[in-house]
Amino acid sequence: MSPQIEIQIIAVVVAVACALPGVFLVLRKMSMMSDSITHTILLGIVLAFFVTHDLSSPLLIVGAALMGVVTVWLTEMLSRTRLLAKDAAIGVVFPLLFSIAIILITRYAGSVHLDTDSVLLGELAFAPFDRMVIGSVDIGAKAIYTTGILLLINLAAIIIFFKELKAATFDPMLAAVLGFSPALVHYGLMTLVSLTTVGAFQAVGSVLVVAFMIGPPVTAYLLTDDLKRMLIVSGIIGAVNGILGYQAAAILDVSIAGSMAVVTGQVFLLVFVFAPRRGLISSLLRRRKQKMEFAKMTLLFHLYNHAGSDEEASECGVDTIPAQLHWDSAYTVKMIRFLERDGYVQLLDGLAKLTEEGRNASIRNYNALFAG
Amino acid sequence: MNHKMKGILGAVLSFSILLVGCSSPTVNTNSTEDNKLNIVATTTMLADLSTVIGGERVTVDGLMGPGIDPHLYQASAGDVSLMQQADVVVYNGLHLEGKMGEIFENLSGQGAAVICIEEGLDESKLLAWEDDSSVHDPHIWFDVSLWEAAAKTVADGLSQADPDGKSGYEANLDAYLKELEETDTYIRNRAAELPEKQRVLVTAHDAFQYFGKAYGFEVRGLQGISTDAEAGTADVSDLANFIVERQIKAIFVESSVPPKTIEALQAAVKAKGFDVAIGGELYSDSLGDEDSGAGTYLLTVKANIDTIVDALK
Repeated sequence: MSPQIEIQIIAVVVAVACALPGVFLVLRKMSMMSDSITHTILLGIVLAFFVTHDLSSPLLIVGAALMGVVTVWLTEMLSRTRLLAKDAAIGVVFPLLFSIAIILITRYAGSVHLDTDSVLLGELAFAPFDRMVIGSVDIGAKAIYTTGILLLINLAAIIIFFKELKAATFDPMLAAVLGFSPALVHYGLMTLVSLTTVGAFQAVGSVLVVAFMIGPPVTAYLLTDDLKRMLIVSGIIGAVNGILGYQAAAILDVSIAGSMAVVTGQVFLLVFVFAPRRGLISSLLRRRKQKMEFAKMTLLFHLYNHAGSDEEASECGVDTIPAQLHWDSAYTVKMIRFLERDGYVQLLDGLAKLTEEGRNASIRNYNALFAG
Repeated sequence: MNHKMKGILGAVLSFSILLVGCSSPTVNTNSTEDNKLNIVATTTMLADLSTVIGGERVTVDGLMGPGIDPHLYQASAGDVSLMQQADVVVYNGLHLEGKMGEIFENLSGQGAAVICIEEGLDESKLLAWEDDSSVHDPHIWFDVSLWEAAAKTVADGLSQADPDGKSGYEANLDAYLKELEETDTYIRNRAAELPEKQRVLVTAHDAFQYFGKAYGFEVRGLQGISTDAEAGTADVSDLANFIVERQIKAIFVESSVPPKTIEALQAAVKAKGFDVAIGGELYSDSLGDEDSGAGTYLLTVKANIDTIVDALK
């Protein structure tokens, strides 16, 4: 298999593996947790290095994974006190742990090339050259297997505990009533997030972990309300981003991870603008329509109020309505024409007169707005 | 199977077609049409060395371009094809390439010859990290005698990978060793122009330890070896005191490190009532580009010693 195809397979597997727990992060408003972990694992690496004094020891990766878990647990504990918001809890824990790592490096390991990249590969371009060899048989890139296992763990956990996750995410009270601890579910989920982050970091690097974990779920969130569908759509969007990103990188000969992250952003932007119900354009259209409906209603009320009264001539003339409602005359003419088309209004000698239907509509509107 | 599932399956299927269809159909032929040896080298220094030793028989591609800090290198999609088609990979080792180094080690099992400069170096000449001898400073290239060892390692590696070219590689090596020898003498002569007390090199990060040891300079760096760690305020203030005390005339900017920190140091020295000049830009983690007049290793080390000596005189 060529490295190019292996890179795309790894990207797709990582993207889906990240998107699954990412959905819950987004729904729980803890998106930046992934960013936090990609930084704090440095502390785990530094501490493990002080124990082993060896930059290539696998213990350093274990240290990273443990620190990831510590990060999410600390954050979860802080936010459970409800004394501070979730994002604030992230903002406290992440800089604290990260700067401890930086201080330790500058103080005790100033002349060692000790940073996250020297322990975790974090470069998708080289992942296919890190082979999995069993006996003497080359069975593909190591990252395909490590991230594949990650994907399976995430899939299994989410399928098995779907009901629990759903309840704990949307209605913790209900979860507690149903007899399982929402706290336990959250800690479990966060541990999953931590493992995924460290595992994916090893394959694709820090920026892409954050992009894959958050980008596809927020994009999917614009497209669907259903949790199950959101998980599936996130996975698909993640996979699409990975492959499109690779193709763009190949054409432009630029950083693969960078290109995938850019595509993730662009796909989000596209959906953000064009999504059928939640997109920018459809909400603009909806707002315009609502504004017009409101204007029509206002005009109907106005005509209803003054119909048959003495001041009808000064209140309901096509040329007097603009002054009364503070509309400009073109807009007024447009609205009258709309109401005419609906059969609610008739023009008689320059006066707008309600039809029988118009009267009924006005009464209906009134009841709908104020009586209910 | 319901409708929704079918839709998803369809998307996945059409996607896998895209995946196979779009990826470039490059085949690992391990040689180009003109039968030259394809060499991929990590740093610009190693690319230059491989070109010199390999001569006509090789084509060399460097992964990291001029002015790129190796610690911050990001591979592009094109680098993947380079690696894939490489017959020989040359890398520095000593953790300079971080985790990539381990990948290069593994590449030897996949048809490519791998030359690791670290392996040809005498461990006793390496500068250790404090009391732990298993971790070394990787910036070996500014000690010309170590670079001679590197040249021998490359020549040996190429001879093994391409036995037919052995005599050519050895001839190139001999010629180059002579040039390195001359350059070494040149550097020593220039360094000797400075009184011993003035041989102090202050730069942004510690890439010049080997240089200092080889040519009798005291080297003070602001950052540690890893460019990730930022300089601390105490570092700046200590170094400023040191500069004032020793009446050092100039401090230096590095090509692959932003000049901000060294400018901050200059300001700190000025606050203590002493003027230190910025002596110019030194090439540290990469060679100059072709327009700079320092596009080869020999030109680069000469440019560095000229910059240093001229500014400190």
